[in-house]
Amino acid sequence: MPELPELNPVIHGKLRLALLSLLIGVEEAEFTWLRSKTGSTDGNLGAQLTKLEEAGYVAVKKKFVQRKPQTLYRMTEAGRQALTEYVQALKQLLGGSMD
Amino acid sequence: MTGNAEELELKDRLSLIETMIAEGRRTTASWGWVFVLWGLAYYIAIAWDNWGGHSPWAWPVTMTATFALTAALSMRQVAIRPRTTISRAIASVWIAMGISMFVLFMSLGISGRLADEHGFVAVVAAMLGTANATSGMILKWKMQLACALVWWTLTGYACFAQGKQLTFAYLAAIFFCQIVFGIYGMIMEARMRTQGAVHA
Repeated sequence: MPELPELNPVIHGKLRLALLSLLIGVEEAEFTWLRSKTGSTDGNLGAQLTKLEEAGYVAVKKKFVQRKPQTLYRMTEAGRQALTEYVQALKQLLGGSMD
Repeated sequence: MTGNAEELELKDRLSLIETMIAEGRRTTASWGWVFVLWGLAYYIAIAWDNWGGHSPWAWPVTMTATFALTAALSMRQVAIRPRTTISRAIASVWIAMGISMFVLFMSLGISGRLADEHGFVAVVAAMLGTANATSGMILKWKMQLACALVWWTLTGYACFAQGKQLTFAYLAAIFFCQIVFGIYGMIMEARMRTQGAVHA
C-alpha cells in the first residue's frame, strides 16, 4: 500500500491557502485587493503574507503610484510548485471519497 | 483518512482553492465608462467640427483631452486591480489602436491631407472594428463581436455612402457601439461587483 503524503504546513493554513490560490490566477496583486477578496484584517493578512514570503512562495514589490505607497505580491515558481503538490497530496488523501 | 471530520476539512480546503482561483481570474475591471466617455467625445468633436466652421482644432483638441482624461481616471483603477494576462492583452490592443489613430490623424490633419470625410470614417471604423473584434474574441463576448461587425459594416458603407447618409450612419454606430455598449458593460460590471468578497 502506498504511503499517504503529508500536507505542506505552510500552505495548509486557510488564509495562506486562499492567498496562494488567488495569486495563481493573476500576474500580481495589490495588498488591498487581497484584503478585499479574503475579508481578513490588515495585521493577519500582513503576517500570513510574510510567512509565504519567508517560504519563498511569494515575492513582494513596493512602489509609489500617484504618490501613494503600494505593495504588490506575485507568486513565485516555488509557490506554484508547492501549491500544485499540495493539491495532488490533497486529492491522494481524499482518494475515492471525492467522487 | 482517520475520520469524517478530517475528510470534510480536506474537502473544504479543496473547495477553497477552487473558489479562490475562480475569484482571482474573475474580471472585475471597470471599462464600460471608457466606451461611454469616448462615444461622447466623438459627438463633441463632430458637433464642433460641423457647427464650429470646420475648425482644424476640433478633433485634435477633443481627442487629446479625452485621452488625458482616460489615462488619469484609469490610473486610479489600475493601481488597485490585479494584473492578469487577459487584462494586459486587452489593454495592449486598445492602447496600440489609440496610438495608431493619434499618430495617423494628427499627421494627416497637420499636413492638410485629412480632407476626405469618407476615408476618415472608413479608417476609424476599420480600426475600431479590429480592436472590438480582438477584445471580443479574447473575452468570448458576443456583444463586443457584434459591435465589431457594426464598425466593419460602416467601413464598407463609408466608401459608397452619399452626403448626409454617412454622417447619420457614423452617429448611429457611435451611439450603439460606444454609448449603449458602454452602459451595458457598466451594468454587467456592477452586477459582478455586487457578488462581493469570498471570505477565507
